[in-house]
Amino acid sequence: MNGPRSYIFNSMVRLAVFLVNVFALYLLLRGHNAPGGGFIAGLATAISLILLSLALGVQEMHRLLRFDPVLLAAGGLLTAIVTGLLPLLVGKPFLEHFNFHLHDVPLLGEVHVGTPLLFDVGVYLVVVGVTCKMIFVFAKSTQGLRALVAEEERRYSSPVEQPIEADVPRAEAEVGNQGKEKTHAD
Amino acid sequence: MDTNRILLLLAVVLPLLAAPVIALAGRSLGRRVGWFAFAFPVVSVAVLLLLAARMGLPGSLVIEWPWIPSLGINFSFLLDGLSLFFALIVSGVGVLVFFYANFYLDDHHEHHGRFYCYLTLFMAAMLGTVLANNLMLLFVFWELTGLASFLLIGFLHHEEKSRVGARQALLLTGFTGLLLLAGVIMVWQVTGTYDLATLLGSGLPLAEHKDWLTVAMLLMLLGAFGKSAQFPLHFWLPNAMAAPTPVSAYLHSATMVKLGVFLCARVFPLFVENELWAPVLAAVAFSTMLFGAVLALWSHDLKAILAYSTVSQLGYLIGYYGLGPLQGVEYDFLHILNHVFYKGCLFMVAGIVIHATGVQDIRQLGGLRRRMPWLAGICLVAAATMAGFPGTTGFLSKETMLKEIFEAMNGHGALGAYATACVVLTSLVKVAFSFRFFANLFLGDETEAVKAHFHAPPLAVQLPPLLLAGAALLLGVWPGLLAAPFHWLTVEGLHQPTPPLSLWHGVTRELLVSVAVVLLGFGVFILGQRTAWRWAAIPRALRFDDFFERGLELFSKFTKWLTRFLRADKPVDYLPVIIAFMLSVVGGFMVLALRPVLGELATRWEWNMLAPHPLRSFVAALISLAVIGVLLLRRWTTQLILLSVAGFLTTFYYVLYRAPDLALTQILIEVVTLFLILILLGRFPRSAELGEIVHRPSPLRKKLNVVLSLGVGVLMTTFILWFNAAPHENRLGRFFAENTVELAQGSNTVNTILVDFRGFDTLGEITVLLIAMLGGIGLLMRYKRTAAEYREGPLGQPGMGIQHSEEKLK
Repeated sequence: MNGPRSYIFNSMVRLAVFLVNVFALYLLLRGHNAPGGGFIAGLATAISLILLSLALGVQEMHRLLRFDPVLLAAGGLLTAIVTGLLPLLVGKPFLEHFNFHLHDVPLLGEVHVGTPLLFDVGVYLVVVGVTCKMIFVFAKSTQGLRALVAEEERRYSSPVEQPIEADVPRAEAEVGNQGKEKTHAD
Repeated sequence: MDTNRILLLLAVVLPLLAAPVIALAGRSLGRRVGWFAFAFPVVSVAVLLLLAARMGLPGSLVIEWPWIPSLGINFSFLLDGLSLFFALIVSGVGVLVFFYANFYLDDHHEHHGRFYCYLTLFMAAMLGTVLANNLMLLFVFWELTGLASFLLIGFLHHEEKSRVGARQALLLTGFTGLLLLAGVIMVWQVTGTYDLATLLGSGLPLAEHKDWLTVAMLLMLLGAFGKSAQFPLHFWLPNAMAAPTPVSAYLHSATMVKLGVFLCARVFPLFVENELWAPVLAAVAFSTMLFGAVLALWSHDLKAILAYSTVSQLGYLIGYYGLGPLQGVEYDFLHILNHVFYKGCLFMVAGIVIHATGVQDIRQLGGLRRRMPWLAGICLVAAATMAGFPGTTGFLSKETMLKEIFEAMNGHGALGAYATACVVLTSLVKVAFSFRFFANLFLGDETEAVKAHFHAPPLAVQLPPLLLAGAALLLGVWPGLLAAPFHWLTVEGLHQPTPPLSLWHGVTRELLVSVAVVLLGFGVFILGQRTAWRWAAIPRALRFDDFFERGLELFSKFTKWLTRFLRADKPVDYLPVIIAFMLSVVGGFMVLALRPVLGELATRWEWNMLAPHPLRSFVAALISLAVIGVLLLRRWTTQLILLSVAGFLTTFYYVLYRAPDLALTQILIEVVTLFLILILLGRFPRSAELGEIVHRPSPLRKKLNVVLSLGVGVLMTTFILWFNAAPHENRLGRFFAENTVELAQGSNTVNTILVDFRGFDTLGEITVLLIAMLGGIGLLMRYKRTAAEYREGPLGQPGMGIQHSEEKLK
């Protein structure tokens, strides 16, 4: 990240990330019966990660997370779809939910859980993934960094890609791809 | 579940489920995945034969699972002669093509897993289409075959030719598929059922709904014409030849393009009495037949010759049903089988030749008989079948075809005469290019191109074409072998009893015409050889694919022009349009609706309805203060933060009305958008911010803005007063609130609506969210990249091509 770094800010952020995520988890788990839920919890976690990226620098986030947030979002969608498909196995319609009421669980007492929570986890992951990815991409591009790392570039672009703007003649772009000229046109 | 059901699942659903497994297995198995995939057509053939043996042919059997019973849409399959015949062709040719592909796609190719995945998917979709009993199910599988075909044509997607061919095929067959859907729905509207077995049993109410059903028939026929490449929609088929040859042999000659023929056969008993059936089918199909044959003669590319001859033969097969007598047709299966034999075989021969020599132009080939004697023999038989020489199924097909067409001349008058002329001329041209195909590949001297590249193909790859050619020869010599299977496969309403086939009918009119056609065709061939086929070229006026591509280009130019025309350079300029629209439409309707109740309202009006609530007014004042600050302050960041303050203060109202979920969401969304916009503001140089200050709107525009703003204010105030004056009952909200514990077993209504009551919506929304993000990244990566940036490769410059002007000045 450009500009001066603040030691106070960095330390506070570390604490905040921890607290916000605990709170997010709390919101996620209680969502079915009290204010909360996957969407809100996802936003809270996304905010904590964005704060972290402000403190450490966006380029650090890739190393820290070790995976593309898009994978998180894809995993979330998959979780939601699988939750929806599960009832089909027992002959119930798509997205039918099941709830279980457990008594005398150690430490927690009475617990009320079910497949809605699983579905909510899917929503949570999608929201975290999408929000983080978009903000990280924008943040990197405004800071003069490469918006995506090489591995991601391969995932989102094609080697046969061509300009979509009509202002760039196709032939010129093809010549460009062969790398014959090295002038910088703008 | 009884055995028949399990067998059907094995034949159709197993390959459908196996397709993704094959794609995954391809990663670890590499090339060997082809042999794994080979198991599925073999299973399908065996299971279908077993099913046919168990159900007792001729007869029919319906197997059904519920899908959406309330709409009459079910996983319903109809097994009868027609569907089993097509299903056996699909899976049988599938066995040969999968075997062939294992040798054809050698280590030079990549992505074997993906290839066999698409191929297996295609086979399953085909089986589903021909076996479907529910018209809606038929449509679903029909479009799935088109999708698989798109993927297979575009398999070598790094070549422009493949991409263009795939796009054409998808647009044309996909669009005509939608017409088929419209036809299916129209049939449903008058009959109330999608069930084919019921429809075939009871017939259509032709008397009451004649015009309606005629339109439905024409729509369904257009679907068939698109899929079977009938003029003028034929051009996608030759371009589909950009696919690897096994695909061409399988999809674009033997099976998929026959779906149109299949559909005509399937609905033949329903629509044959319609007076437009015969003229439409015959006129389109027989014209296609002649046209395709002539284009085949004019082509030089091996696969193009075969593709155009396929177009021609499909025309014949469809026209055959058009001219069929009302009682039913006789030899349709013979014609279809004959085409499968020789065309599948010739495509595989062409594939082997292209593979061995690397040459696709027939003018650069020759003398291959010494190098590949076996293949020469196979090709000789197949070409003879195509030309209709005695001793092959081609001869039987041609003899019966001529006989029937002469009979049709009596029944159909001018139409019959036109069809006869087309059939005779096409036979002549077909003889000519059959000779050419064989002679220019295998006879004569070896050309330079052959000498330079030749490498011998493995012997095993020649087995599938050998089998096909052998079958054509065997059944051609002993046509009696066909009598029993054809009897079993008879379908009531479609077929009438057939006299047995025989090799020698005596000296008949058909034989004489046949001999004349062969002699004249040979004459054309000799003429062509003498002139080295210099005159043979497809004139530009007949290149329909070029027209189509140009049309697409024009369309994209038009949309681009329209976008530019409607675009404003500053987003702010869109606002007056939007607001003016809202004021005129919403405000206009509100005035209309309010006028009658206005008087009533006035009587009930009490000024204390406007009495300010102290807490709410305080927050409203704070919000107004923040918004006024946005207008007065000039720095973008401060404006943004003030807007955010207004947003945060709105949360207060959610708290006041006891909506903690909304309050939480509002706070968090506000934070995220604040971050997002702050980060985006970083993209703009300081000069942009200054420039915005300098740019002042004209006085007229200022007045307009004031009027519009006041208008919105008045509109919203009236709205709120109106709603508060006559509060309406919130039935939906109460339903959710009352049933949340009982039905969704959760006490947070907002959450139970999201995950349970409206779970499907939420699933759709998160899917859209993901798609929007991927689309956004794609756009960002391509946004206004100059040629120079493209030159840097997909990674591009840092900052995605956005350069701050200040940085450049340094």
